[in-house]
Amino acid sequence: MTTRTTPCAGSEAAETEVILDLDDISLSFGGVQALESISFDIRRHEIRAIIGPNGAGKSSMLNVINGFYHPQKGTITYEGVVVKAMKPYHAATRGIARTFQNIALFKGMSTLDNIMTGRVNHMHAGLLAQALYIGKNRREEIRNREFVETIIDFLEIQAIRNTPVGRLPYGLQKRVELGRALAAEPKLLLLDEPMAGMNLEEKQDMSRFMLDINEQYGTTIALIEHDMAVVMELSSRIVVLDYGRKLADGKPDEIRHNKDVIEAYLGVAN
Amino acid sequence: MFYREAGDFKTTYKADQAIFPIALDRWFVVTVVLVFLVVVPLLASNYMLESILTPVLILSIAAIGLNILTGYAGQLSLGTGGFMATGAYMAYKISTAFPGLNIVFVLIAAGLCAALVGIAFGVPSLRIKGFYLAVTTLAAQFFLLWLFTRVPWFVNNSISGVPTAPPRKVFGFLVSSADSDPIDRYLFVFIITVVLALVAKNLARSRIGRMWMAIRDMDIAAEIIGIRPLTSKLTAFAISSFYCGIAGALWSFAYINTVEPTAFDINRSFEILFMVIIGGLGSILGSFLGAAFIFLFPILLNVMPGWFGLEISVTLVTQVELMVFGGMMIFFLIVEPHGLARLWSIGKEKLRLWPFPH
Repeated sequence: MTTRTTPCAGSEAAETEVILDLDDISLSFGGVQALESISFDIRRHEIRAIIGPNGAGKSSMLNVINGFYHPQKGTITYEGVVVKAMKPYHAATRGIARTFQNIALFKGMSTLDNIMTGRVNHMHAGLLAQALYIGKNRREEIRNREFVETIIDFLEIQAIRNTPVGRLPYGLQKRVELGRALAAEPKLLLLDEPMAGMNLEEKQDMSRFMLDINEQYGTTIALIEHDMAVVMELSSRIVVLDYGRKLADGKPDEIRHNKDVIEAYLGVAN
Repeated sequence: MFYREAGDFKTTYKADQAIFPIALDRWFVVTVVLVFLVVVPLLASNYMLESILTPVLILSIAAIGLNILTGYAGQLSLGTGGFMATGAYMAYKISTAFPGLNIVFVLIAAGLCAALVGIAFGVPSLRIKGFYLAVTTLAAQFFLLWLFTRVPWFVNNSISGVPTAPPRKVFGFLVSSADSDPIDRYLFVFIITVVLALVAKNLARSRIGRMWMAIRDMDIAAEIIGIRPLTSKLTAFAISSFYCGIAGALWSFAYINTVEPTAFDINRSFEILFMVIIGGLGSILGSFLGAAFIFLFPILLNVMPGWFGLEISVTLVTQVELMVFGGMMIFFLIVEPHGLARLWSIGKEKLRLWPFPH
C-alpha cells in the first residue's frame, strides 16, 4: 500500500466536480416522513460522510441514491444526468456500489464466488459459451479471476478465499462485502456503517482500506458511520441529518463546532 | 491419507478453475464414467439395464433440472411432473410430425418447448416467493396434465389416449420403442445424462450460476450489485424446464415406451423434489445420489426379506415399504439436512486423515 502524506486524503480534492447532486429530496412511507427536503452534493474523489442519530434517515438516503427507494419529491443528478425511477441494477451498471448495515453476503457461496459475483456487469459471455465453458466464457472467467485476486490481495483475505462466507467471523464478512462492492469497479461507493460492531484493530484496518480505495482507485465514497473519531479523521465533508432533515453540512471542523449538531448528539449543554 | 489435495499445486487460474480442479476427483469421475460406459453394459443383466439403471439416469436428469431451479436459484417448484409431461408430449408430436428427424434433435426441441412453458409459469416468481410460489407451480402441474389429457391433438387423436412411443434410431441403433435393445437404450440415456450433467456443472460455475445463487441467498443484495431478478429467475425456470422436458421425453421414449399422463402426475413432482432434498440442494452429484436413493430404496426394501429367507405377503411389503421409507425421510432430514452430497464431502474430509486421528 502506498504511504500517505496527509491523514485526510480526500480533503484536498474537495473542489472537484460534483458527481452526485441531490436536490430537495423528500421521501415518506405512509404517514412517516423519512426525508424532508434534503439537498446536498457529493464531489468526485471525496469521502463524504452522512451522520446523524438513529432513525435520522441516513440509510434511507443511501437507498434513495442507489434506486432502492424512489423519493416523492426532488431530483437526483448523477454525473450530470437527471435520473428518474432508477432500479437498483441500473444504479449498479452506472457505477454505484454499496455495502449494507447488516451484512448482505451470499451465505452459501465462497469468498471468491461472492467477489466474482460483484463482477456480473463486467462479464458478457453467451449462454452456450457458459454451458460448454469455452471461448469467451473461459477467457472472461480467467480475466475476471485475475482482477478479483487483486482485490483479495488488497483486502488481505487470501487465506479465506475458498471458505464459505457463512463460516467467517463478522469482521471478515464485512471485508468480503467491501470486496464484492469493489469488484464492480464503482465510481461511487456507498458504505452503510462499515465499522459497526468492530473492535479498534478492525476499525483501523477498515479505515486504512477506505483511504487506500479512495486514493488508489480514485473511488468516491459516501459513508454512514457512528464512530465520530473515524468520521472526523476520514471524511472531507460531512452532512448531518436529524429526524429526516438536514441539520448541517460542511468540513469536519465546522461540524465539530456546530451548535445544532452538538445539541442533537449530546442534548442541550447546561 | 487416501484423499488429499495437498501437493496438487496450481500455477494458473485456468488450472484452478477447471471443472474438477483436484486430480484425484478428476480421475474418479473419469473412472466412474468409463465403468458405466463399458463395464456395466457388458456385465449387467437386461433387467438391471432396462428397469433400474435407465430410469435412475432419466430421473437424475429431472433431478438436476429441479436442482437448478430449487437448489441453485432458490425457487421452489412442484411443477416438475408437468414440465416432464410437456417434454414427453412435445417429443411425441414432433417425432410423429417429422419422422425423419433424428431423436437427438427431437429431444432438444421438446426440451425447448418445455423451457418456454417453464418461462410462462416462472413469471409469478417475480412477485411471489417460497411456499406461495410452490402453489403457483402446482397450477402448472395440474393445468398441463389436464391439457394433455383433454386435448386429443397432443396424442394425434389416438383412441386410447395413450399412444406408444415411435421407434427411433441413433447411428443405426434403435433407442426407443419396445423392440429396442436394453443396452442401446441404456447407453443412449447414459451419454445424454453425462452431457447434461457436465453442462449443468459448467453453468453452475459460470456467471449465470453465480447469479442464480446470489438471487437464492440474498435477492436484494443481488439486485443492488446489478443482477436483474427477471432474467436470472426466468433463465433458471427455462433451463430447469429444459432438463425436465428432456427427462420426460426420455422417460416416455426410452423407458416406458408409451406417452401417458399417469407417469407425470403430482407424485412424480414430489418424488423428484425428494430426490433433490435427499441428494443435496445445489449439488449436481447430489441429484444423482438422490435419484438413485429414492428409486432404489423401495426396491431394496422389497427384495431384502427374500435374502433372509423371510416369507412376507406382498401387501404387507407394500405397507412396510411406505412406513420405512417415510421414517427414513424424516430421519434423514433431521440428521443430515444438506443431503447425501454433504455426507459424501464429509466422507472425503475424513479420508484425508484416515487412518490417523489428526
